[in-house]
Amino acid sequence: MPQLPIYLDHAATTPVRPEVLEALLPYFSAKFGNASSTHRWGREARAATDAARERIAACLGANADEICLTSGGTEADNLAVLGGWRVQQANGRPGIVSTPIEHKAVLESVHQAKREGGDERLVGIDAVGTVNLDSARQHIRGDVALVSVMWVNNETGVIQPVAELAAIAREAGAIFHTDAVQAFGKLDVDAKQIPFDFLSVSGHKFGAPKSIGAVFVRRGTPLAPLFFGGSQDRGRRPGTENTPMAVALATAMELALKERDAEVARLRALRDRLEGALVAAVPGLVVHGRDAPRVPHILHFSVPNADSESLLMALDLAGVAASSGSACQSGSVTPSHVLSAMGLPPELGASAVRLSVGKLSTEEQMDRVAQLFPGVVQSARAMGGRF
Amino acid sequence: MARVLVAMSGGVDSSVAAALLVRQGYDVVGVTMKLFEDGAELPDRPCCSLDATSDARRVAEQLGIPHYVLNMIDHFGRDVIADFVAEYTRGRTPIPCVRCNTFTKFSDLVAKADGIDAQYVATGHYARAVAGELHRGADDNKDQTYFLWGINRDVVKRLLLPVGEMTKTETRALARELQLPRVADKAESQEICFVPDGDYVQILRRELGDDAPALSPGRIVTTTGDVVGEHEGYARYTIGQRRGLPGGSADPMYVVALRPETREVVVGPREALLGTRLSASGVNWLVDTPPRVGDEVQVRIRHRAPLAPAVVEAITGGAVSVTLHAPVSAITPGQSAVLYDGTRVLGGGFID
Repeated sequence: MPQLPIYLDHAATTPVRPEVLEALLPYFSAKFGNASSTHRWGREARAATDAARERIAACLGANADEICLTSGGTEADNLAVLGGWRVQQANGRPGIVSTPIEHKAVLESVHQAKREGGDERLVGIDAVGTVNLDSARQHIRGDVALVSVMWVNNETGVIQPVAELAAIAREAGAIFHTDAVQAFGKLDVDAKQIPFDFLSVSGHKFGAPKSIGAVFVRRGTPLAPLFFGGSQDRGRRPGTENTPMAVALATAMELALKERDAEVARLRALRDRLEGALVAAVPGLVVHGRDAPRVPHILHFSVPNADSESLLMALDLAGVAASSGSACQSGSVTPSHVLSAMGLPPELGASAVRLSVGKLSTEEQMDRVAQLFPGVVQSARAMGGRF
Repeated sequence: MARVLVAMSGGVDSSVAAALLVRQGYDVVGVTMKLFEDGAELPDRPCCSLDATSDARRVAEQLGIPHYVLNMIDHFGRDVIADFVAEYTRGRTPIPCVRCNTFTKFSDLVAKADGIDAQYVATGHYARAVAGELHRGADDNKDQTYFLWGINRDVVKRLLLPVGEMTKTETRALARELQLPRVADKAESQEICFVPDGDYVQILRRELGDDAPALSPGRIVTTTGDVVGEHEGYARYTIGQRRGLPGGSADPMYVVALRPETREVVVGPREALLGTRLSASGVNWLVDTPPRVGDEVQVRIRHRAPLAPAVVEAITGGAVSVTLHAPVSAITPGQSAVLYDGTRVLGGGFID
């Protein structure tokens, strides 16, 4: 009998947790009201939405009025980057600083700001995968409206020096945004500890459904809306509030926080076990971000003389769900912009695989993957054909 | 059960092929090849577009088989598109589907099959692989062996061509029966997949630049050497073409030759197109015993042209010459000459 497939793509998305599903379901049925309505159905939805907002805020060390709910991480990043930059640009600050390793949701928003007249500056990346702080200091000057640097890189799992960057930005009078999509639930994300102005999270990375996210907007930080309509969410994000998803996000965040320390230790042990076994099994395998601080759930590496596409195909046929870290809509794999920013040669950039552990992962699975991986590499290399 | 890698374009033929293989109990793995960047200029392509890839993926999901998109843009660009452009600059009329089959589908893709331990490779071609030899498809109107002569003989032994036994009408009916309505009524993909709107000159301009000799003005001359006009680039012409030539002569004029070295387009009357002799190079044989000098064969000189009886005149190295028993029109350098013995494909080459 074939063995069950192994899901090692938790950085892409996670299963909805049963507790989360249970919490949100009433708001899909009996408690279906519009939180803006004045009648009893409306009041019921309002109470749940406001409570969810408070619970989300508490998970981020924030106040409820600092939480803006969005349709997910991409909208959160767009709103923060463009919403912050547009206001500040009108005040004579055209500069926008980011990095070449951001998620496309940030990078494309930064490019959009450039098309609107922004002065785009991308900070240099060190070979280990972290933002170069000297380069950041050179770029973050008095004419900069907004700085956006991700907390954790989604491909390599490398943790960025956001506390230092937030301080540099603050000194220059710029808004500091951080995409914390891969950080929340793994690192201490606390608005009281680190002076970020905007922060994005995405629910489906930690057990909430897809299409719910949030932006933390520090009190007093200007933000222009992307959408126009009613006065929901203080006008920052008009549109009927998504009560079930707000409840889901709040529940998932609380669970993630409650379990964080134990889960981080468990995932780190699993990841390290897998990493050690793969390094031992495949000569020349290059682990990315190994010399930088990394989140515990991501293992990103390149296999010499095998391309990502073939590796992923062979892995999937062997029952292992993985990713290269960057996938395009047509399903074909493109070389990693993150690895090329780190200065890796293109052939290594085109041979990357990301394995990310999470709720579904077990020690037995790590051992099975380590065992089948040499065969996968052999398969992938054969697929290269007449190169 | 044996594993088979099936190339799925998202069209009806390869979808039905995959479905039939699943029904026959094979361990089927579907792939869609991404062969070129499909920019906004190719919105409604029947194949290779994002929509077509999505269709292939949905069919695969419906069939319960894994499906992958393989990025083969680099190799296809090198082996097929670059050659396509180079052939036009040499005053020839290329046939990229042959090179795609030879290099991309039945070489690069076979390497993928090897990598995943797939014993067989399948496509939706209208052709039949019987006992290690290639035969014309059951549907005479759809037969695609004209494009398949260049593939490695060892690959023929591993080929599964399920729709080759059927007519197109049967394939479409089977698609409906197999609950594949999304693809059952799709339009045929007739044109060259990477050429938008049949406008190959657009590709040449992109690859060569507007001032390339092949796209620069030159003289239109008759077979007897009279200059009868000017043209805007010999690569815009092919043997047998009437369009784009000056009028005024008593008899209609046709392109009968291209001379890239002098950038001349040679025109002549219809009779000047007729020929009985042809030679082809880059020959590939698909049978154990290739024909010998003096053997009677049938030759096809363009896709869907009738089979022409001929006798083999010479075989030297990678070239073959034949004499046709009756004259045919517009024997065009760059196109294929494919030799048949009944339904068997003996082999083929590129016409010189």
